Amino acid sequence: MQVEFSAKQVRLRDELRAYFAALMTPELQAECQRDLGEGGGPLWRAALRQMGADGWIGLGWPEHLGGRGMGPVEQFIFVEEVMRAGYPFPFLTTESIGPVLAEYGNAWQREELVPRILAGDLLISIGYSEPEAGTDLASLRTRAERESDGWIINGQKMWTSLAHFCDYTWLAARTDPAAEKKHRGISLFLVPHSDPGWHCTPVHTLGDVRTNATYYDNVRVSDQHRVGEINGGWRLITGQLNRERLSLVNVGPTAVLFDAVADWATHTHTVDGRRVIDQDWVRANLARVRCGIEALKLMCYRQVWAMSKGQLGMAEASAAKVYGSEFFIEAFRALGEILGQGSLVRADSCPQGALTGRVERLYRTASIITFGGGTNEIQRDIIAAAGLLMPRATR
Amino acid sequence: MNFAESEVQTDTRDLARRIFEQRMGSQELAGFDDAPEGRFDSSLWRTLAEAGLLGISVSDLHGGMGLEFAALAPLLEEAGRALAPVPIIEHVVLAVAAIEIYGDRQQCERWLPAALAGDSLFTAALPHAAEVNCTPEGEALRLNGSVALVPLANLAQYILLVVPADRGQNVLLVDPRAPGVTLHPQRFTTGETRFSLSLDDVLVPPEQLLATAAAGQAAGQWLLQRALTAHCLHQLGVCERMLEMTAAYTGERQQFGVPIATFQAVGHRAANIYIDLECLRLTARQAASRLSQELAADTEIAIAKVWAGDVGHRTSYAAQHLHGGTGIDRDYPLWRYCLFARANELALGGSACHLSTLGEIIAAGGARCS
Repeated sequence: MQVEFSAKQVRLRDELRAYFAALMTPELQAECQRDLGEGGGPLWRAALRQMGADGWIGLGWPEHLGGRGMGPVEQFIFVEEVMRAGYPFPFLTTESIGPVLAEYGNAWQREELVPRILAGDLLISIGYSEPEAGTDLASLRTRAERESDGWIINGQKMWTSLAHFCDYTWLAARTDPAAEKKHRGISLFLVPHSDPGWHCTPVHTLGDVRTNATYYDNVRVSDQHRVGEINGGWRLITGQLNRERLSLVNVGPTAVLFDAVADWATHTHTVDGRRVIDQDWVRANLARVRCGIEALKLMCYRQVWAMSKGQLGMAEASAAKVYGSEFFIEAFRALGEILGQGSLVRADSCPQGALTGRVERLYRTASIITFGGGTNEIQRDIIAAAGLLMPRATR
Repeated sequence: MNFAESEVQTDTRDLARRIFEQRMGSQELAGFDDAPEGRFDSSLWRTLAEAGLLGISVSDLHGGMGLEFAALAPLLEEAGRALAPVPIIEHVVLAVAAIEIYGDRQQCERWLPAALAGDSLFTAALPHAAEVNCTPEGEALRLNGSVALVPLANLAQYILLVVPADRGQNVLLVDPRAPGVTLHPQRFTTGETRFSLSLDDVLVPPEQLLATAAAGQAAGQWLLQRALTAHCLHQLGVCERMLEMTAAYTGERQQFGVPIATFQAVGHRAANIYIDLECLRLTARQAASRLSQELAADTEIAIAKVWAGDVGHRTSYAAQHLHGGTGIDRDYPLWRYCLFARANELALGGSACHLSTLGEIIAAGGARCS
């Protein structure tokens, strides 16, 4: 086993780090802060197109799909650097839907949509959950019915994050209500937000991040908008989620935060004149977080390496997702303790980019990925069944 | 970046597993549980020697295979899985390595061939277990003090000790039969007999000194890094086996007409251990890889040892609990693993100790995530 990047990969990382230092202008940073780390503003869009034009988004993609052919490890280095830079990167589109479209999409999807994704020009939100279908996703009720040579879609989706500035929703809809196994009656569609039957209303959350409810009222799409086989959507969903899980637990931002808090504690003094970091409990908190970062980093690297060999295992992807999502909460808590009450000051009352405001918000938003991307209970079921070969309960 | 096992590592793993599986069934292991002479299977030891496994990391100049430290990792993991009653860490990872790296030509020629052939046995103790005072006496050193919990001190030809010196540390070999050395048997948590050494004016002649003072400090540090990493790898094997037993047992054990593994409370606790083991596996193997590449490894080793301590503890209690009474029944093999997990957890410092080490590194400006 060798964990270290090659000299060439280190150069790539350094190049990317310098690139993003220049790209993240104070104006863009301010816009991202205003948009609560989810992007969507005009400077954010311009920066995404810039990354696309500079060939970064498709860095690891094969050349025949418009990429630069460097491979999954290089692609991961790019994602880690863009996330370290604090740019809210639309990884659901680029890292999870994009690859599934490239593999299973029809000619239009592969030749028109994928290149636009790699150009930073096309954004796609995900429509899985419904008011009555969350963890039991296969029970979803949104219907797509055949109408002449196209489809007519009716239903409602919940938690359609980023939909208010995306171009399409990657939508799971029931196409065979009579299927014996309910997950065998689901198909995937790309629904354009320009359709008059598509509506979106905001849902405001604890962490201030906006998400959405989306409504599909006699939305009409051509058969070209269907992805994969009719009633073959489940496989695309699980494939997309497997990839999503890796991006969700990217350790980059937490690694940056750890370094910043450790440096802050080294250069800040307590009222009695000691360095903050000379208190045992501060060191213990930092050391605990550092141990967790290392494990998560290795899990993610190992998965990227496995992906480059075409061996991404289900249990390993689920393990990284469970571990990362639960670790982040503990990490933000421990780092927040070091900053003290300062980490309760909201970012809009802090100088731009201040550590305190960042930790305040991160702790407040950290629960999302323990249930988002497939709740951790289901991930643990997957680990027990696929990783430990334990029999599972029939449901 | 490469997370695959090398060909040599796979060969070593297969060979070691085959030997241990053939030789170390539950019944054979039980024979060593309370052995008054210590936990040592001399015939297994000879088999390992004949297979070349005692010399994996020793230069071919001395009859070894000349491979890097990471090539030892599968042997250590497999020894953990099998709870093999052989002193691989003390003999191979510490004593033999110390002689090869710090000994002069004469010392190497005198000891290494017999050590690799399994003809002479070495054991070792690092400073965590030693309270020893060293005073120079001409070219020799005079030792006074005591060292706790040395395995196989009764059978070993020499005991490698790392002891404090005026300026640094001394790395030396003590003959357990030398005048002034007394062995007191101690029962270790695993049930095996270990020995507390009393050293009263023990004279260690110059030909038994490997490194002294400042050079000894560096040697002691080098040995400590290897020992810590070795315990992490051994712990990985111990814990992997506990989890396998737990998955198999809960898959078979029926209650309310179904296997208990189908209850989420059971499956999830096992899944947590699976995740824990991923963390231990990756951090422990990373530490071994860094030692092989001769890269700075203090941060990575401290991290691995924190995981080894935490994961050993959690795996042990989860496995016992999910087995119910069977887990603690001495007719079922789990109990033994629980005790070895505890031994590895506390070997050369537990989690709190290594968190503190890591905290010091961070406070000195190190261990940043770049």
